[in-house]
Amino acid sequence: MPEPGGNAHYTEPDPRVTGTIRYAQDVELPEMLYACVVRSPYAHARVLRVDTSALPVDVVALTPDDVRSLGLYGCQMKDQQVLAVERALYIGDPVAAVAAASPRAAREAAELIEVDYEELPAVFDAVEAMQPGAPLLHPDLAISENDAAYFGMRPEPQRNVCHHFRIRHGDIEQGFAEAEIIVEETYRTPSAQHVPMEPHACLARWTADGRLEVWTGTQTPFNLRMDLAGIFGLPQEGIRIIAPPMGGAFGSKTFVRYEAIVAGLARKAGRPVKLVLRRDEEWLTLNRHPATIHVKLGAKRDGTLVAKQVTCWANTGAYADCGPGVAQKMGFASPGPYRIPHVWVDSYCVYTNLPSNGAFRGYGATQAVWASERTMDLLAERLGLDPLELRLKNVLVDGDRYCTGEIMHDVHFADCLKAVAGQIGWQRGRRGKGLAVLLKGMQTPSRASIVVEANEDGSYTVHCATAEMGQGAWRAIRMLAAEQLGVPVERVHFPVPDTDIVPYDTRTTSSRSTYMMGRALVEAVRQLKENGELGYGECVNEGGLDPDTGQGIASTHWHQGAAAAEVHVDEETGKLEVVHLHTAIYAGRIVNPPAAQLQNEGSMIMGLGSALFEEITFADGQITNANLSDYNIPAADDLPRITYDLIERPGAEIHGLGETALPPVPAAIGNALFSLGIHVRDLPLTPERVLEASERRSVHSAASV
Amino acid sequence: MARPIPAWLAPTSLEEALELRARYGEEATVVAGGTFVGILINQGLLQPTALLTLRQIAALTYLRVEDATASGKPLLRIGAMTTHRALERSPLVQRGWPVLASTFALVASPRVRNQATVGGVLADADYASDPPALLHALGASVVARSPHGQRLISVEELIIGHYETSLRPDELLTEIQVPGGIEGAIYRKFRSRSSEDRPCVAVAAVRREGRLRVTVGAVAERPQYFPEICALARGQASIEAELAREIGERYAAAIDPISDARGSSHYRRRVIAVEVRRALEELNRIIAARGGSQSHA
Repeated sequence: MPEPGGNAHYTEPDPRVTGTIRYAQDVELPEMLYACVVRSPYAHARVLRVDTSALPVDVVALTPDDVRSLGLYGCQMKDQQVLAVERALYIGDPVAAVAAASPRAAREAAELIEVDYEELPAVFDAVEAMQPGAPLLHPDLAISENDAAYFGMRPEPQRNVCHHFRIRHGDIEQGFAEAEIIVEETYRTPSAQHVPMEPHACLARWTADGRLEVWTGTQTPFNLRMDLAGIFGLPQEGIRIIAPPMGGAFGSKTFVRYEAIVAGLARKAGRPVKLVLRRDEEWLTLNRHPATIHVKLGAKRDGTLVAKQVTCWANTGAYADCGPGVAQKMGFASPGPYRIPHVWVDSYCVYTNLPSNGAFRGYGATQAVWASERTMDLLAERLGLDPLELRLKNVLVDGDRYCTGEIMHDVHFADCLKAVAGQIGWQRGRRGKGLAVLLKGMQTPSRASIVVEANEDGSYTVHCATAEMGQGAWRAIRMLAAEQLGVPVERVHFPVPDTDIVPYDTRTTSSRSTYMMGRALVEAVRQLKENGELGYGECVNEGGLDPDTGQGIASTHWHQGAAAAEVHVDEETGKLEVVHLHTAIYAGRIVNPPAAQLQNEGSMIMGLGSALFEEITFADGQITNANLSDYNIPAADDLPRITYDLIERPGAEIHGLGETALPPVPAAIGNALFSLGIHVRDLPLTPERVLEASERRSVHSAASV
Repeated sequence: MARPIPAWLAPTSLEEALELRARYGEEATVVAGGTFVGILINQGLLQPTALLTLRQIAALTYLRVEDATASGKPLLRIGAMTTHRALERSPLVQRGWPVLASTFALVASPRVRNQATVGGVLADADYASDPPALLHALGASVVARSPHGQRLISVEELIIGHYETSLRPDELLTEIQVPGGIEGAIYRKFRSRSSEDRPCVAVAAVRREGRLRVTVGAVAERPQYFPEICALARGQASIEAELAREIGERYAAAIDPISDARGSSHYRRRVIAVEVRRALEELNRIIAARGGSQSHA
């Protein structure tokens, strides 16, 4: 890779500021209709009858009969139909849809559809859903052919488990026999909403020659195309996905969301159909996995870790989506970035009658780090050790073997920990202070490819599937291309990705795009310089884990970071004030410093929301806070002093930054509370929970700091 | 169609508005700033057949002080359509009723405060809003007008339940009156979540002519005030720590708090004791420093 150049923040006007940007929800076609979705009011019910007889003649309806013969889909498990044909599996499950001349007419028409249901027993908790006798959501399970099902899937269909991931490393019984101190605890983290500023938006039309064209806010155009091909029985090249920039996604705009419904409506209507979700429908579309995690950790008296057993129950809701992948990454993040000779992990992805849970910034790591890093402080307290010293004694260093068997390289966990400890004033006293460290994998295996084309006017065009969702990926890739081509960034164009034009890319997830595309670019630019016209490059990272043993290559490239927090607690009310939050992230080499900084700040703030108040609440499967008044996200006045280090190393690779700072933030804050003797197991850290925990505190358990 | 577009009634004079109000009664939902009605409509909780907006009535936006009233105390008159933001930023209010200015500044965010009105927040009677508890403690009243005349209703008698007021179907709330003569006043907003959230527990404490009035908001269907507990402070030159604690504990025992996303009933009861005590401690300091008032975030 060439060395970083000037890294100047580019000087073009930002289309988001000038208003020239056209988001997915801004796309319009002549003659288009507007869709509205009819949703199940029951958490689990047989759909008996869908009656559209009251609809005005100019309204087009999509009902179970229209989609019964279409293919099943799902990016990892094939467990979903375009509408709930036989049974609705959560409150909000689409059972029908309409298309009408205006959004208002569509909304009104949707209310005219009558659906008869027969209510069935439902289950909402992942641990309960695995018990014998629990209602079964999907009696038969098929694994998807989509390439998002990239690892060995281990469904256990008769107990609502769509994936059971295991790590078997060393001899766990022997490990605990050798341990001199064992700590054990169970933690819970709630569901959360991504709250992208722009809701899900998509538009579909069928061309005269039978091709399906879809404009949609998506991070996964190729995975979407694969599933749509299966649903409609088309070859993949019979489908064209255009992916305009998004007003935020955070994992929510992945795989098939509403594209199949609007495509079905458009085919029936013979006209383009567009859908933009209402804000409350976002909560019915995709959320973060609630998780229950049990951790048992054994160590020698000097703090040397010897054994760790973790069980994760990831509640994936009604349809698997990428839940198996989330459960797997939760599983292999949970041993933490530590050298532990004996590790045993069982991570279950479990169906329940909640809305589907899927990718969410942090992708399983937030839940895993909360459980794992809170347990490290429990252990430190039992051993009477400084939590920083305990971590530094055990943390992975270059050349160590992780519990997956892979050798770690370019490892900076200790650097990150030392940096956050220094910035939070760890040496001046630890009361009210806490820290946490994170290891997070990048999508492995995966493939990125890119084409760079020289234009007549001396400018260049990059053809690339990477999605822009506010993270600045297009800008970063243009800057890298400009640097390698030796031209100003204004001379490098990045058109809206269109699967008819751009070469294949796995997807824009797991903070991989700048790293992977940056590598693919090198070959593309080399070729272009050779022939003067066109260059193609690709980057493949090989690997993967054996799902039965968790052995192999979990990630070719590790995201590494640490967080530290200082808190004050109002002991009478339990109100927690975060005074200072600091993160240190290994960034390798930074392409666009202002964008990297903003992305890291955003990640920290999202972590703060998860720590302090974000939680989707349910009453028998019904979401009770599906609006931004009842569901709080951090406001400007909620922010503490926020500081961070983005650690670079000369000659290093680019490291993704999109998600690294989020997962350790809640754990650092939880550990800061624990330094005051307040042990809260469940997120978020509401004043009520803090007050309860502070009352459980006994003289003996008060942290000896 | 299932949901016809509601009739949009936008009178430009109060007389016209009263006439429309009398004609439509509860058929028409009155819209002031629209911050609450908008949420209800968007969430499908309210499907009005008509909306009666008061925004075109310029005569309902004013802030006036009458220096010499019959009671000998100054009186602040607030037009019902005055926004939270206008109240918060008014030098008149900041000088004479600083606790009002600082409390309205704690409501939601500037975006909301630029829209939400003083009349609207009282007519909504939302248990989780900040202003009702303070206006209750300040002994404020509202003017209710109908084509047949007008009456003065104390805030205490105005808010009678969850989103329920004693306004009649032909009445419009046109003015809010806040008496002066305050020796000390404090509003404490305890939030359990975001700074922009509504209170989990709100405490307003006001002393006027040696009498204490403590009102707790956001914990029950309407503001909670117990004159017999406040009477413990009668005749006391100052509210000593022990008395503040006792009043706090008695309020906590007297209130049967609700449970919602901001806290359980059990938790709220504990916070009420703490926050009432703290409010009185602060009030005591304010009185000791002779006059003035403030609100505490």
